[in-house]
Amino acid sequence: MAKVYTGRDGVLQQGGTTLAKVVNFQLSSNLETLETTTLNENIRSYVPGVAGYSGSATLLYYKDDSGIINTTNVLNKLYKTGTDGVSSSDTVELTFRWIDGADNNDIKLTAYITSASIGAATGDIVRAEIAFQGTGALSTVTIS
Amino acid sequence: MAFPSLVPTSRSFESGDYPVKTFKAQNGKEHRILYGSNRTNMKLSLSYANITDANAELFLDHYDEVQGTFQTFIIGGLEESRGGWKGNKDAIGAGSHGNNYRYEGPPQVAQVRPGISTVTVNLIGVL
Repeated sequence: MAKVYTGRDGVLQQGGTTLAKVVNFQLSSNLETLETTTLNENIRSYVPGVAGYSGSATLLYYKDDSGIINTTNVLNKLYKTGTDGVSSSDTVELTFRWIDGADNNDIKLTAYITSASIGAATGDIVRAEIAFQGTGALSTVTIS
Repeated sequence: MAFPSLVPTSRSFESGDYPVKTFKAQNGKEHRILYGSNRTNMKLSLSYANITDANAELFLDHYDEVQGTFQTFIIGGLEESRGGWKGNKDAIGAGSHGNNYRYEGPPQVAQVRPGISTVTVNLIGVL
């Protein structure tokens, strides 16, 4: 059956758990291209280089009935005490899902949170904005 | 094994000079003595960006075959090293002046990604 997807079909999961109150997310893949044009050619040619993934998301800062805040496991990758900074284990497993009835269209990756901002403004809901950089290969791709 | 027949992605050429010795007299006048009839010391720099490692290896093998900077070799007859040059082929060569090339230094190989490398070779024309 023909179908267009809307924001209502989108789900962002972290570690297999759906994050509540996600306002938007975006995932980008990019491919570095390496030029191979030689001196006797007039048209540029390339070979594929290294591919990568990055993106961003915005979440409403939200505490559920059990007192769990939805952004905790994301923000704590950057907002932390101590002098150790970010370590190689500070990754998150993110799943970007578009739901079609019983079917899930997923892209899953491991990523570092590269920026996280949160603030407050009069008359506005508190939001957390994160950006991430994927590391390694995608572990799941069921989107076509 | 001949010098690899690949078209470079960039090339620079210095045309060398005739063996000239210059003296300056006390009154400031310059005197030049020509010691030879052949131009020499041409410098040819060839860069091969993003080629396969197999092709990059050809330069390393050739460098080894000519014993590094020791032996000379001819590349003047190859169209590939002058690819893209629309002028007289002799103008950016060394052979027409009786020169052969030798490596000025080892080929520089930079790994770009798995299986892809960039190679730069610097050659100098010698009599």
